[in-house]
Amino acid sequence: MTRRDAFWAVFAREVRAASRSWTYGLLALAVTAVVFGAARAGSGPSAGYVPTVVDVLLVVEVLVPAVAVAVGYRAVVDDAERGRLEVFDTYPLPASAYIGGVYAGRAVALLGVLLVPLAALGVHVATTAGPETAVFATHRGVDSPLLFVRFLALTAVFALVALAFAVALSAVAGSRRRAILLALVGLLIVVAGADIGVFGAMTGGIGVDLDTLLALSPSSAYRGLVFETVLYVAFTGRSAFVSVPAAAASLAAWGLGSLLAATLAVAR
Amino acid sequence: MTDAPSLQATAVTRTFGDVTALSEVSVSVPAGEVVALIGPNGSGKTTLLRVLAGVLEPTAGSVDYAGPPADRTIGYLPQEPTFRPGFTALETAGFYARLVDDDPAALLDRVGLDAVADRRVDALSGGMTRLLGIAQSLAGDPPVLALDEPGSGLDPGMSELVFDLVADLAAPGHAVVVSSHDLLAVERIADRIVVLDRGTVVARGSPAELRERTGGPLHETFRSLVGDEAFGAVRTREGERE
Repeated sequence: MTRRDAFWAVFAREVRAASRSWTYGLLALAVTAVVFGAARAGSGPSAGYVPTVVDVLLVVEVLVPAVAVAVGYRAVVDDAERGRLEVFDTYPLPASAYIGGVYAGRAVALLGVLLVPLAALGVHVATTAGPETAVFATHRGVDSPLLFVRFLALTAVFALVALAFAVALSAVAGSRRRAILLALVGLLIVVAGADIGVFGAMTGGIGVDLDTLLALSPSSAYRGLVFETVLYVAFTGRSAFVSVPAAAASLAAWGLGSLLAATLAVAR
Repeated sequence: MTDAPSLQATAVTRTFGDVTALSEVSVSVPAGEVVALIGPNGSGKTTLLRVLAGVLEPTAGSVDYAGPPADRTIGYLPQEPTFRPGFTALETAGFYARLVDDDPAALLDRVGLDAVADRRVDALSGGMTRLLGIAQSLAGDPPVLALDEPGSGLDPGMSELVFDLVADLAAPGHAVVVSSHDLLAVERIADRIVVLDRGTVVARGSPAELRERTGGPLHETFRSLVGDEAFGAVRTREGERE
């Protein structure tokens, strides 16, 4: 039994469980209703892809961590609280393979719940917006489906980071009640807390550029990357909302750091 | 390293904060034998079994396994086995079997659950869930088995079946340690009995040796060792709880 075999066993268990759960379908319907509602309220779909992203960005920024926490907060604590982790201890199942399998399996469910409604919104834009939006732009100043695909990719990355954070909180929680509490705290940290920390650091005058500071919080790193690589591409002369390398590094650090923390918590 | 598997706990102490659940407990579980842990509620049986199974670190002392190398050296049945809801018994056994390259259908067959292989685990009775737990503990054919109250909550027929199965497990040379409140079953299948009270070993020996202490059945010896007041009470160390 290799570490890879153990990973696939746990991954298959998670995917199979998700495929049988009606709650994921319900979550997907809720996400669909919210993003379509936000887009229609702003009339973005009739104007094009970039206006649609503008309409839904704020909603998605809150929705993604909320759904990620809903999918991930019980990921480990259920096995821990019910004694299954102790049983796993007697198997050749390393903590890294267990956390990796749980995370990857739930990531499949999470990405399905988030990206299918957003992709459907993209199709909706394609069928309702003006003909100029069908251009596959290679230069600034042109709306394009490629920009929407970038938005989807960035949203997927943000979702994976938020899920890693939720899994880490689930791994350290110890009980389901504490997991719910930590999930709420984690949601606040991802959605607002880190941003507030950044603003606090700004006012404290710590001598770091604003575009780098903004990259430290996962939400503002995601928001900044969407501005830099989706929205400002279509508007000439605007950029430097956030440092792209710093934002990418920040998201990687939040994601990998969370998975490392989860692995260490399970390996204790 | 010897081919005959055995487990040896030496001077094991386990505390939880200021509570001492086990104090200087030494137990040997040799190959081909069933060692039974008995004692009043709170005497430290489950804690000792978890330490022996390797799922709980002792605060002091050590647990050493000797025997052939194996993917899974110790099979463990927790006191209350639970399984991920939404899966059938066969799928559940399949998950554990996959971790050690075992055959899930054979595992279910071994504990008599083959007839309900397609039933969801949340629809299994308490006894069937425990049997599925035993099937899980057997996955990978571990040389040592640690079973926490395998007969708990079962009807007499199923309890007898489970204890017969436990006795059969030791026959081919496995080392089996089991905790139980069912003194009749323990007397029937155990090669050695370890009596725990307040986290310490108060007696040990074969069923016949323990019976000789009072000349009566095992439960009389048990009463004489732990005292009548232990019945219906939780027994922990003075001022402490397990």
